[in-house]
Amino acid sequence: MASLSSPTTAATRRQDSPIRPFVGLRRSPSNNCIPTSRNAVPSRHHLQIRAAKSSPRLPGRPLRVAVVGGGPAGGAAAETLAKGGVETILIERKLDNCKPCGGAIPLCMVEEFGLPLDLIDRRVTKMKMISPSNVAVDIGRTLKPHEYIGMVRREILDAYLRDRAAEAGAQLINGLFLQLDLPESGEGPYRLHYNLYNKGTSSVASERQTVEVDAVVGADGANSRVAKSIGSGDYDYAIAFQAMRIPEEKMKYYEERAEMYVGDDVSPDFYGWVFPKCDHVAVGTGTVTHKGEIKRFQAATRLRARDKIEGGKIIRVEAHPIPEHPRPRRVLGRVALVGDAAGYVTKCSGEGIYFAAKSGRMCAEAIVEGSENGNRMINESDLRKYLKKFDQMYWPTYKVLDVLQKVFYRSNSAREAFVEMCADEYVQKMTFDSYLYKKVVPGNPLDDLKLAVNTIGSLVRANALRKEMNKITL
Amino acid sequence: MALFSPIPTALSTLSSKCSLSTKPLFTLPNRRNLSLFVTRSSADKGEGMVGSAAVEEKVEKKKESPSPDLEEKKLEEEEKEESPLDSNGAAVKVEIPKFQDPRWVGGTWDLKQFEKGDKIDWDAVIDAEARRRKWLEDYPEASSNEEPIIFDTSIIPWWAWIKRFHLPEAERLNGRAAMIGFFMAYLVDSLTGLGLVDQMGNFFCKTLLFIAVVWVLLIRDNEDIEKLRKILDETTFYDKQWQATWQDDTSSDSKK
Repeated sequence: MASLSSPTTAATRRQDSPIRPFVGLRRSPSNNCIPTSRNAVPSRHHLQIRAAKSSPRLPGRPLRVAVVGGGPAGGAAAETLAKGGVETILIERKLDNCKPCGGAIPLCMVEEFGLPLDLIDRRVTKMKMISPSNVAVDIGRTLKPHEYIGMVRREILDAYLRDRAAEAGAQLINGLFLQLDLPESGEGPYRLHYNLYNKGTSSVASERQTVEVDAVVGADGANSRVAKSIGSGDYDYAIAFQAMRIPEEKMKYYEERAEMYVGDDVSPDFYGWVFPKCDHVAVGTGTVTHKGEIKRFQAATRLRARDKIEGGKIIRVEAHPIPEHPRPRRVLGRVALVGDAAGYVTKCSGEGIYFAAKSGRMCAEAIVEGSENGNRMINESDLRKYLKKFDQMYWPTYKVLDVLQKVFYRSNSAREAFVEMCADEYVQKMTFDSYLYKKVVPGNPLDDLKLAVNTIGSLVRANALRKEMNKITL
Repeated sequence: MALFSPIPTALSTLSSKCSLSTKPLFTLPNRRNLSLFVTRSSADKGEGMVGSAAVEEKVEKKKESPSPDLEEKKLEEEEKEESPLDSNGAAVKVEIPKFQDPRWVGGTWDLKQFEKGDKIDWDAVIDAEARRRKWLEDYPEASSNEEPIIFDTSIIPWWAWIKRFHLPEAERLNGRAAMIGFFMAYLVDSLTGLGLVDQMGNFFCKTLLFIAVVWVLLIRDNEDIEKLRKILDETTFYDKQWQATWQDDTSSDSKK
């Protein structure tokens, strides 16, 4: 995700480029498209209109918002904004970007975002968890026939959401966001500088452009420049994986199955995985604390899966950062961060697509609400409402996964206990329910008590074995 | 891993094994250990050499005939991997010795082989599992579908774990508590004149007793004090990261 232009060239050229006003380029909000038949489920947002009383009415034009980044977060945000009557531009630098990503989406995402089912390449209904000593446990027995984890190709999903946003009235711009100028005065506009990529020419030829907007939604991912512009603070991340094409008969094993490998050899604080994609598998791993050794972890993952991917050819090698906790500052003025830019990736499972799209949508909803469908100027308190809503809704999920990561990814013995626990049906049911529907549902208290006792038992046994292991020298 | 002679390490394993337990069952794995070390040629793992761009990796399996002193044991499978992109230009051979144990059958421990008389020797099962995990930690293996590992530590009954791990620790802690208790009772008696019965009725002494018990339970090694502090930090760290955005709440309004 390296940027193509340096900030110095941007600074020197700033004097030359004319400021192009935004008004007059877009259709008026009354021409908003109704949802097309491509949506499997009609949009069911019923927004409550509550304007910020202090904000002034906009003089004869709708609210202008720029969404930087056209991934799931940006696409969802742009669609909701456009539908809500806000003038939206969506800036995306690579329209066919093949993101290195697990590509797993939960069931609730398909329903909530009305994703057509042909977007999903594979339905994973079986997950195999493999402990450091290769104890293998199959989870997924408790899944009902209509439940699955959807595997998608990111370029397909992202393009679909972007196209839907464009149909709703957002203007899609293929360009590289360079810089954000903060407003001089309180109500002043934000000035965005970007390189417009001319269609039909090579990506080298680009045109420097500027646009003025009232608010900015930063959806430009882990290396977010919008975040840098508002001094958002930093976070830690790492990930790497390779795509491998494996022989047909081996591919059958991965037809509906994904695998998770845990162990110090594979990752000291995360896990290695083999996820099936449309015609190949993705073998990868990630780490935060030992980024320099990622190649070794990758090799170890391939070793553990060796028998099952034997004869396979590596077709692509990629690495990409993913955040592991939210940025210290997610909103400043009329700029809000969503998705990976804000750091909404869960611990333990590393899931981010759903939360990116959901946060994009929630942020857009807050903007539409605060501006009374684009009629009023918004201010920071409207954006903070989105933060509050998101934090309230998903904080339990994030916290539970954080606790799980702290307890079970601590050491090899904890991972052994973890895999042992996964064999329990109650655990499987709770895990899948909370993953697929994103609700931390408290189960039967008696079962919970039994689960707690079993967990402690597993951890104690694994640690006891660990003490024995330390006495042995092979 | 051992680039120098593998024999001394095997010998030390033999001796350490004997010191751990004198049960005759352990001599069998030791002999196998020896042979495994002898046949293993150590080298850098070729997989670590894979660089960028598309690379083709071919995996070849080679079976080797059993070494002479293992007539009744199973065939050892040794896999060799060749990486054409080795930095030295030479093909690097890697052999990963697979974990083998005559009592490890079908992906789990065959409890019948652990029987001592008519009872199962659970200590030996625990030892065997510890060794297996240690082996796999040092030499990670490919997980295989043909021989799935289905061992679960919960088949070992709870009392075996307690007898082996909890009781010695409990003895240590109780001993500490008793020594501290005796000494503190003597000290308080000499300072205040309160006998043991009177001390039990005094609130301050009861508090001291409570602190002493909690201390003995939580802090067993010198490192535990640091560990406890770190755990306390850890439990609140993630919350702080999420709350960070709300710290700005009051100052941000002026920044518009």
